[in-house]
Amino acid sequence: MTITVDAIRRCLEGVIPSTIATCAPDGTPNISYVSQVHYVDSSHVALTFQFFNKTHSNVLANPRATVVAIDPQSAARFELDLEYLRTETEGPLFESMKAKLAGIASHSGMAGVFRLLGSDVYRVRAVTPLAGKQLPLPTPRRNLLASLRACSQVFERCTDLSALLEALLAELEAKFEIRHSMVLMLDGAGGRLYTVASRGYRDSGVGSEIAVGCGVIGVCAQQKTPIRIMHTTAEYSYGRAIRESAERAGMGGLETAIPLPGIADSRSQLAAPIVSAGRVLGVLYVESPEDLRFSYDDEDALVALAAQLGVAIRAMQETEDLHEAPRPPARPGAPSGGAQVVVRHFAADDSIFIGDDYLIKGVAGAILRKLLADHAREGRTEFTNRELRLDPQIRLPDVSDNLEARLILLHRRLAERSGALMLEKTGRGRFRLCVNRPVQLVEVPRT
Amino acid sequence: MSLAASAGALLDESAAAFLYRPGISITAAASDGRSVARIGRCLGCRVAADRTRVTVFIASAQYRTFFDALEASRRIAVVFSYPSTHQTMQLKGSEAEVGSLAPGDHEIIARHVDDFVDELGRLGYPRDVVRAYHWCEAAEVRAVTFAPSAAFEQTPGPGAGAPLRRTA
Repeated sequence: MTITVDAIRRCLEGVIPSTIATCAPDGTPNISYVSQVHYVDSSHVALTFQFFNKTHSNVLANPRATVVAIDPQSAARFELDLEYLRTETEGPLFESMKAKLAGIASHSGMAGVFRLLGSDVYRVRAVTPLAGKQLPLPTPRRNLLASLRACSQVFERCTDLSALLEALLAELEAKFEIRHSMVLMLDGAGGRLYTVASRGYRDSGVGSEIAVGCGVIGVCAQQKTPIRIMHTTAEYSYGRAIRESAERAGMGGLETAIPLPGIADSRSQLAAPIVSAGRVLGVLYVESPEDLRFSYDDEDALVALAAQLGVAIRAMQETEDLHEAPRPPARPGAPSGGAQVVVRHFAADDSIFIGDDYLIKGVAGAILRKLLADHAREGRTEFTNRELRLDPQIRLPDVSDNLEARLILLHRRLAERSGALMLEKTGRGRFRLCVNRPVQLVEVPRT
Repeated sequence: MSLAASAGALLDESAAAFLYRPGISITAAASDGRSVARIGRCLGCRVAADRTRVTVFIASAQYRTFFDALEASRRIAVVFSYPSTHQTMQLKGSEAEVGSLAPGDHEIIARHVDDFVDELGRLGYPRDVVRAYHWCEAAEVRAVTFAPSAAFEQTPGPGAGAPLRRTA
């Protein structure tokens, strides 16, 4: 019976270091510890290439190598018969391994020493179990395939994006015991991601942004690949990601007024790209205060859910386009009472302040300005997604930009920050602006 | 066949002491004489009084491919690494010999495994797993003896791979 690499993935988490043996062309053996034997697919693994050492020079001359990997729960050992193929120095595999290595380095006191120069990709010729004592495996608390199936049912049940995201994050907690999660959507033009839903944080952080390429989430979106870290590491920490994001903010002002949600003692992190038709739409991100919380199996489950989310988002957008709701007639809303609220719109960055409190900027800010201007001028309260999509003043960065996600963001920010204004969904592709107090819209022009 | 006597021991006293350090991790590889090296996990080591020969202990039933390769080439490499500091040294030798354990070797093995379990336990590894990893039938353990002909510093970092310098 042939064993494939996926059957022994637990041995490849880097919990117990593996060893690799190679041969120089003259037959001299070499043996070395290796920080990470990374699972690529059922017949390939990749090893971290960190230093120009004997292992690397040997496999360049003679591609055969042997690895012994150990199951960190049962102590079962496996001999992997390998053949070196190539070294990758950039791209998804390299970035996944770089992030994982940063966690391992930080955990083992080798931060700054372990540095990934390349991912050495090997074909697995054979996996052979070695004789020896094995401990019985503890009974798993749950079956992740069953959890995945149960979690997938939210896609059958939910028909609008807001409810879907909320249900998905709730199911991650119920079925996977993942208590801290968020969904970020890619801003089509700006090279940034904005938080549209979260669960398990003191502040929702909806509206916060992170630059593509920064931290676990940003690298996941940039490389269109899952990124998983099993120990806390400064290199990929929120603090640093935000700092670097801010430094790159020359691209049009990253949202920094709303802090990104995050747990203070995050030790395990996993980001899965939400992809549809080959394009990254966003990132599904989860974290935990436990070390080694997310396994290869968790990664598979999250990637599968993120893929379903990508298909669902695309399908919802297409359905919305099919159901082109007619522009509702201008009908004055009920007069609102109470003290007047001053809403200022700054043309420079479409930022909105309600009284003295910052609300939002960018596309969501431009949307609210349009709604309030129409309301002031015509007394309108009923709107459609389609008219927003077509409005040149809103400047959606891309035709495929997810307007629904922008509306969810605006809806949540209003719900969190203001009692005076609310958005209410009234049907597919249509919604209502609820103005609970008299509003004065003040336009602050570009200076 | 006797081991080739070297003019002087390659290992100085501090290098030899490192091989004995409680908690040290030891793994060997043997070339099959063609292009493949096989791995054997070691259960401890013994260094001759004149430091010209090093003996490592390996379970033969568990690491059969290692012993097959060693029989074919008698060329061996052994890596010694101290887990909490990552300090690492590799020894290489040829004409390795496989023999039975000498009196006292079983005690060396028992102490080595206990120390290693303690060292990894302190670093947070599950002790029962580390112990199971080193479990073997006493009768299957073989003593593999070789004269180190080369020693390399292998601690991760820019100096990895450099030949060891004698300090004494």
